[in-house]
Amino acid sequence: MVEERRILYEHLDVPDINTFDVFRQYDGYTRFEKAIAEYQPEEIAKMVLDSGLKGRGGAGFSTGEKWSFVPRDIEPRYLCCNADESEPGTFSNRYVLEKNPHLLIEGILICCYAMGIETTYVYIRGEFTLGKKMLDAAIKEAYEKGYLGKDVRGTGLNIDIYTHPGAGAYICGEETGLIESLEGKRGQPRNKPPFPAVEGVFRKPTVVQNVETLCNLPFIVGNGVEWYTQMGPTYADTRFDPPKPDANTGTKLYCISGDVNEPGVYELDLGLTCTELIEVAGGLRGEEVKAVIPGGSSAPILTHYELDTRLDFTSLTLAKSMLGSGGIIVMNETRNIVDCLLNIMKFYAHESCGQCTPCRWGTPWVRDIVQRIADGDGRKETITRPKFGVAENGRWGDTGETEEIYEDLDLLESVANNIANVDTMTWNTICVFGIAVSWPAVSYMRKFRPEFEAAIREGKLVTLPVAEATVPPEENYAYQQRFIPKEFADL
Amino acid sequence: MSDELVQIETPFAFNEENQREFDELIGRYPIKEAAMLPTLHIAQKQAGYITPAVMKYVAEQLEVTVMKVKDVVTFYPMFFEEPVGEYVIRVCHTLPCALRDCKVVLDHLKAKLDTDIASETNLAKGTTADGKFTLMKVECLASCDVAPVIMINDDLYKNLTPEKVDELLAKLAS
Repeated sequence: MVEERRILYEHLDVPDINTFDVFRQYDGYTRFEKAIAEYQPEEIAKMVLDSGLKGRGGAGFSTGEKWSFVPRDIEPRYLCCNADESEPGTFSNRYVLEKNPHLLIEGILICCYAMGIETTYVYIRGEFTLGKKMLDAAIKEAYEKGYLGKDVRGTGLNIDIYTHPGAGAYICGEETGLIESLEGKRGQPRNKPPFPAVEGVFRKPTVVQNVETLCNLPFIVGNGVEWYTQMGPTYADTRFDPPKPDANTGTKLYCISGDVNEPGVYELDLGLTCTELIEVAGGLRGEEVKAVIPGGSSAPILTHYELDTRLDFTSLTLAKSMLGSGGIIVMNETRNIVDCLLNIMKFYAHESCGQCTPCRWGTPWVRDIVQRIADGDGRKETITRPKFGVAENGRWGDTGETEEIYEDLDLLESVANNIANVDTMTWNTICVFGIAVSWPAVSYMRKFRPEFEAAIREGKLVTLPVAEATVPPEENYAYQQRFIPKEFADL
Repeated sequence: MSDELVQIETPFAFNEENQREFDELIGRYPIKEAAMLPTLHIAQKQAGYITPAVMKYVAEQLEVTVMKVKDVVTFYPMFFEEPVGEYVIRVCHTLPCALRDCKVVLDHLKAKLDTDIASETNLAKGTTADGKFTLMKVECLASCDVAPVIMINDDLYKNLTPEKVDELLAKLAS
């Protein structure tokens, strides 16, 4: 069985670790002191780049690379720490904030030192009242001990951290939505480019990082890049010559919930399989795994055929899903996928910020279609349509065959794909919320189509046995939603 | 319309403690407008909900138009434009909680409080007759490992069952 490797969470359960003195006993702030004593800011940035750390918030973009886009000649620069943890199935940041807030402060200090940043805003979701209270108390202590404020530890650095409460909008977890919200406006995402690294909050260069990403920094500085890169798999991207290393280094705070015996946060090296993770989480509650959502509710669903998929950024991308924020939701054989999709679509219909028309109108429309099917009022008419899949030229397209499909299912796929097209990976919206809607909608429908068809046919929700409910992967386009060249070695 | 005009005439101003908090807050941002969300949180804490007078006051403090404040208030679910109960009960009903029977908890709360579920445009619908509780459904509260969860005002309650809900309500009623 895979062993937990607790690094970020190592001292989480130490009593009073939220206080400066106890945190100090467990090497607290020594990594920051090491950073300012032994390294130049550019060296820290280089270390983070070499460590292969990928942003843990959802997009999985290389942190070091993101930092390299920040123009160092424009003052002031800002750091926004994204603690607006709202993705259904994700809850690891909450524990850091509530139990070990000094670790986050140390991470922020290292980032500020590396990037020459003086002001940090921690955008913390409005519902996290306890987390905000604990972090505020820790920040106050850090000021008193001279780790924040003017002339930090006699180095001449000025670093301030402020917490900023959100007010319950999911979209503010999107980096540009967060920035708009931080500026005191509706949290409606901005067009990119310019990316926040160039023009972010108050129109100044801004680094936006998730809590978990920042918490990795003390350990990269403290233990070195070599130590860090030993954890997790590094693949070779053979599209480049010479092959570019594709790092999935470090540990991940996997949040597992749903039908497992011991739901919770497990810190494990990246790259274990779904089956292994379920085993770590005390095994399945129920007889059989029906489906697994691997990265928060936005991620395309995995079926029981895909349980040996490794849960890291690269492997899940190749499986046409994503690691996202690492929120894994497990469903057993008693669950009805139509019902689950309805729940998720209600969430997205509620949370669409209303800025872009395809999303504002499309998300409630998708919800209504799924609601209709779940209520047993799904339209029974069928249509014949071209069958899509891998065409002769090897690209996504018309296979030359046709298929019969219920009108409502075709409509569901069509509306979702017009918000954001999962096959071509193009979206008609400003932010990636669009794809977060159509990914689940289309993947659930395609992979569990028999269950949707049964609901329409029978006029009520029918929970089919797992084997019957799932579309098998052999040459099935449900599993081929996107084109990503399978040219990664050592997978 | 006429109601709103009456309310505008009932002035609002921060009390001493909140004024101090606001003064400290405003220094954190290069532009005053950025303090919008924390200011509205403080104002709501004091006034109970965001009345037109509150919006007017906040607009004056932040040197923006009232419309801009209204724009923000209507966007975020945590700001109320109508009175709510003394205890606001937020029941999470997103997928991980749904897989752990949040519906049982919600139905139990509904029956026990003898009220409907508030909608964002009609909070009165979910408020009990005595004005003590407001029951509302919310999206993921980021505590899926201890589902089903509810929040009562600022506190989170985990692994709920109808029995635990009874205990909680009894404690709050006393």
